[in-house]
This record gives sequence, C-alpha cells and structure tokens, in this order.
Amino acid sequence: MNKLKLNSSSITFLPILVCIPIAYELFFNFHIGGIELFKEFIISALNPKINHEIIFILVKRLNETIFIAFFSWLISIIFGVIFGILSSEIFYKILNLPLFLKRFLNLFLTFIRSIHEIIWGLILMQIYGINFSIGIIAICIPYVAINAKVFSEQIENINLKTIESIKQINGIKSSTLITLVWSPVIETFKNFGLYRFECAIRSSAVLGLFGVGGIGTSIFLSFQTLNFRELWTYLWGLAFLIIISKEVLKKFNLSNTSKKFLTSFVIALFSISLFSLSFFIYFIFNKNAIPFNSINNLLISNFNFISYDFLKLLLETIFLCLLSTGIAISFPPIFILILNNKIGIKIIRIISFLFRLIPPPVLILILLMFNNPSISLAAITLGLHNAAITSKLLLANLDNQDNKQYIAMKSLGVGKRSSWLFGLFVKQANSYLAYCAYRSDIIIRETAILGVIGSIGLGWKLQESLSSFAWEEVIEILLAYSSIAIIGELINGKIKSNLT
Amino acid sequence: MINPLLELKEVSYKNKNNFTLNKVSLQVKSGEKIALLGKSGAGKTTLISILNGTLKPNKGSVKLFNTEFDKLNLYQKSKISTIWQDLRLIEDLSAEQNVNCGLLGKQSFLFAFKNLLNISSFNKAHQYMQVCNLNKSIFSINIKKISGGQKQRVAIARSLIQESDILLADEPFNNLDPKLTSNIKNLLLITKNKNKIKIPKTTLISLHRLDLLDGFNRIIGMKNGEILFDLEKTKLKKYHLNKIY
Repeated sequence: MNKLKLNSSSITFLPILVCIPIAYELFFNFHIGGIELFKEFIISALNPKINHEIIFILVKRLNETIFIAFFSWLISIIFGVIFGILSSEIFYKILNLPLFLKRFLNLFLTFIRSIHEIIWGLILMQIYGINFSIGIIAICIPYVAINAKVFSEQIENINLKTIESIKQINGIKSSTLITLVWSPVIETFKNFGLYRFECAIRSSAVLGLFGVGGIGTSIFLSFQTLNFRELWTYLWGLAFLIIISKEVLKKFNLSNTSKKFLTSFVIALFSISLFSLSFFIYFIFNKNAIPFNSINNLLISNFNFISYDFLKLLLETIFLCLLSTGIAISFPPIFILILNNKIGIKIIRIISFLFRLIPPPVLILILLMFNNPSISLAAITLGLHNAAITSKLLLANLDNQDNKQYIAMKSLGVGKRSSWLFGLFVKQANSYLAYCAYRSDIIIRETAILGVIGSIGLGWKLQESLSSFAWEEVIEILLAYSSIAIIGELINGKIKSNLT
Repeated sequence: MINPLLELKEVSYKNKNNFTLNKVSLQVKSGEKIALLGKSGAGKTTLISILNGTLKPNKGSVKLFNTEFDKLNLYQKSKISTIWQDLRLIEDLSAEQNVNCGLLGKQSFLFAFKNLLNISSFNKAHQYMQVCNLNKSIFSINIKKISGGQKQRVAIARSLIQESDILLADEPFNNLDPKLTSNIKNLLLITKNKNKIKIPKTTLISLHRLDLLDGFNRIIGMKNGEILFDLEKTKLKKYHLNKIY
C-alpha cells in the first residue's frame, strides 16, 4: 500500500475530522427545551417588526454604531500606519537607529494585539464604567496593533534595490523614508484598510452586546426579552449598514481625487490624529477610574497559576481553538464541492452572509436553546462564523480565477465536482490555507468572547474575575491568553511562510 | 596638479567567498568622460556601487572630493548620481513623480510629501523629461504602464535632475533604439549645453557596445574584478579589447 502523502488540497479537507468529536458531544447534549423558541427565531427572520417607534430606535442605534466604528477605524488606521512604519526594519535602516527598539516595539504590539477588543472593552468598563468612548478605545487598542502588523509586513516587502537607489539620492532622511513607504502604505490602505471598516462595524456591534451602546445593545436586549421580531429588525439593519458601507468605500478612490480635496484630506487626518491622541490622554488621566486593588496585590497574588482548574481552562481554550479552526478551514471547500451548481453556491452565499451577520455571542445563545453549554457548542459557533468569512474569500478568489483548466477537464468528460477540484480548487488551495492560518490567529482571540458567554475556557474565568474586581487574576488570565495567542501567531507565521 | 574628484585605493570587495573586485585603484578627474568595458560579471556594477557609496569595500579606501566616503555630508554625497542597470524606479508612482524623486537631495520634507500627493510642481521634471525625449503624454502615467525604453529614459531624467557633478551609469542604453541611444549618449557626454539644463561634467558609463565609444576620452577595461587597462581613448587598440572579451 502506498504511503499517505499530504498536499495543500488534502490538508484543507482533512480538518473535517473534528466534526466527529463535536457531533458526538452535541448529540449527547441535545435537548428539545428551546425548539419552539428556535422555530420562532427562524420565522421572525422573514417577519421582522416594522413600526415608527422601532425604526426610530434602529436609526438612533445605527448612528451610534457608525460613530463608534468610524472613529475607531479612522484612528486605528492612522496610528496603525505610524506604528507600522515604526516597527518596520526600513525605518531603523534609514534613520540609523538601533534595532532593539524595533524588537521592543514589536513585542509590545504583539501583546496588545493578542487580546481581543471585547476583553479590552470589559476591562475598561470595569475601570471607567460604561462610557461611549470605551467602545472607540477598546476597538482601537488591538486594531492599531493589527493594522501596524499588516502595514509593516507590506513595508518590509519593498525591494532592497529601490531602497538603495533612493538612499543614494541623499535627500534628508524623512523625505527618503516617506518616498519609500508611501506606495505600500497607500496600496495596503486600499486593499486592507478599507475592509477594516467592516470589521470595526462588527466589533462595535459585538461590544454593544456587552453594554457599550449602539445596535449591539439593542440586539442583546431584544434577545434577552425573547423579542425575536425586534431582534431581526436590528440584525437586518446591521446587514444594511454593512452592505451600504462596503458600497460607499468601494467608490473611495484616492488616485482620482482633486488636489484641493487631497490637501484637505491630509489636513483632516492630521487633525484627527492629534485630537484623538489628546482625547486619549485626557480620558486616561481625567476620568474617575475605579482604583485597582493596588499594584502590590499583583505581586502577592494568591491565584494559583498552575492549579488543576486553571490548566483545565487553558486546555479547553486550546481545544476550542483547534476545533473551530478545523471547521473554518474545511467547511467552505466541502460545501462548495457538494453544492457545486448555481443554486447551491447562492445558498452558500446567503447562509454564510447570515453567519457573518449574527455576532458569535448571539449565535451561541441561539444554539443554547437546544444544547447544553460545551466546548463543542462553542467550537461550532466560532467555527461557523469564521467559515462564513473564509468561504466569502474562497468564493471571491474562485470567481476571479482563470477557468480554462476547468473547462478543459469538463470537455474531456470529467465530472463537474472532479473538474472543480482539480481544475479550480487545486490552484487556490495554497493561498486559501495561508489565509486560514491568518484567520486562526483571529479565532484564538475570539475564543475569549465565547468563553464569556458560553461558560467555556479562560473567557469564563475572566468574566468571573472582572466581576469580582480580582485584578491580579485578570492580569494572570490575560497573560495566559496572550501566551496562547503569541504561540499560535508564531506557529501560524511558520505555516504561512511555508505556504507562500 | 588637478585633485581627483573620486579616488579608489587598493579596493577589494568580497561577495560570498568570491572576489568581485580585487585591489582596484582608480582616479576620476573633473571633466573626464570614461567608458567602462568588460564582460558580464567582470565587476562593473560592483565598481559603480562602490563609487557611489552603496557598497562598502572590504579593503581599501574610497574618497570623494579628497574626503573619506563615511565622512561626507548629505550635500557632498548628492554630488554623485547613478543610473542603475535595473533602473530601480518606484512602482505605483507616475513617471513625473519618479523624476521628481531625484530632487529629494535638494528639497525639504514638504516637497517629498507634496510629490507623493501629486501636488508638487513638475516643471523642472518635465524639462528634464523632454530633454530625454520623453513624450508629454506619458508624464503622468504610472511607471508600471510604460514601455522598457520609456522607463529607461525616466531613470536617466531622474539622475540628471539631481544636477550632480559626477554621473555613474550602468549600461544606460539598454532598451533604447539606435536613434534614442545616439541622442541620450550625446546628452550624457555633452560638452556644450544647448538645453539650459545642468549635465554632470564628469561621467563614468559602463558599456557593452563598442560602437558607442565615440565621445569618451578615457577607456577602462575590466575582467574578473580587476582593471586590465586604463588609457586614453586614442590609445585603445584591438588587443586591449581581446584581453577583456
């Protein structure tokens, strides 16, 4: 018998095996207590509540969401670019600065990136109380670090010879630096920065579930009162906002704008960055923060870092990551392969849109209607939400791909599914896996949100510690989270570099 | 005696265990028009990179204006301009923005920023582009969208706009048709300036085509990282060329 040989295509399908333990656990935790509620939830999707009063609330809440999302997006892009440049090697090469500063900054950015915006939100809410600015700051903290990483990666790709040629002109260092980094920054802004606005809308909606305000708060309140028709009005409103924002941003073209507009745009960016920085400093130092139990408590902590319970929660979190990543990787290619016709693909698009639209905390609450809390339930929730995102990317890439090979295979009499697999998917497998590796970084961070809601992993412990103001525990859990995220990021980085 | 503008003393450069330059000594004086000949891999590009300070030699010294390269200030360094063999233009910028990059050595940060926003003045860039036989229609076109010959001339215009004293050029006539080659060569070796633009008085150009040697007054031949001959153009004989090819 021949040895099993794995390639990129087979690796995308194999993680489906995670469904075996998930299905087993879900089957034994199944109950019919909430089936009627679930039916009502599904029916309400087609019959949302529409009246004068609810439309008024919807518009008001959407305005709040746009406000939080827009400012957090804009600020995180501006500072993402600044930190991206500061954390790229080219900056230190041109200014002749020691490289240890870059390593120190990168370590700091990796730490703040490894903690999800919801956790930042929860911590800030415990310190400063519920406040509108919390939403913006909580999103900005990890987003600045994420954006900085992407911008810095693109800046590092500048050809060494181009750097030499511009350096050789011997202009002042700041002119040399800006001339070199300008194009990659603008390109990354167009390809990645604009898409981050959609992410900011989703994040501000999820933060709303925890009380920050905006559409998320209304979604959570209507869910708590089991008012599903109202819930769907808000969900469709959110969908409308995401679609509209995407269309508006598509029309945003920096290269075809007038000189006057460009100048005012740059002045506006500069003013916003100055304003946001001063606001941040004012917020941190002038608000009446609920005091920490004192720094000393952190040093004489009673929290047992290697206790059985803590290790169990840590392992649960790691399992949750692995299971949901398996679903996120394998579901899209398998479902596209099975439903490989026009209607099937449309169904996949609609379902994946819904799974992207419904925030994971709401999704897990829906699934809890007929299943007990478990790792598998959290994994299927997180997996489905992320599979919806990976499927969107896979379908878009397949649409843009040259299909000559697919047509050639079909003309040879090869079946539709086999032609799709060998004529289309094989070419995409590598880049799809590389994207999934990046996605799994996000999944690691997202486990925190589900932990908080679904009684799983470190997220649950964090929620408890935050509620009891046990800051020493909070910090230790954050360190544990951060370690998992950093190790995951390192492993995924290796996988990505091998794949690309 | 005229002091040399550029001086190399016993310069060696080792790259991955191989000597790409081996104990090269050279003096370049003001007003000289030097052709650098040699087969591919002879060390011409390495020599140019050492002359402009991009590469640091493992042994020996490089002096510009009688000063060690490391001790030069930015203004002094900007007195050398280079046309690279692989052009090294910035993709995603237009032709005129690329040419304006040559002014970075003389302008402020604000100019660099305005150039990137496309709101700086391009008058000077246009003047140099026209001298390099570039058509107005390509001035604002993205560098990715123009032909190889046009890119070559954009790179030449970018180095000329620096208004340096010394021009180093690594095979600058690649991608150019015979008529353009002749025009550009005349431009780089010009002695009387009709275009009212500043052309470097001293030039060192690496070449492959022997039919382009007219107009140069000094020929340097290289082989295996060493200078085999360095003589006046009038003294060049066939056996000199046989040594290097």
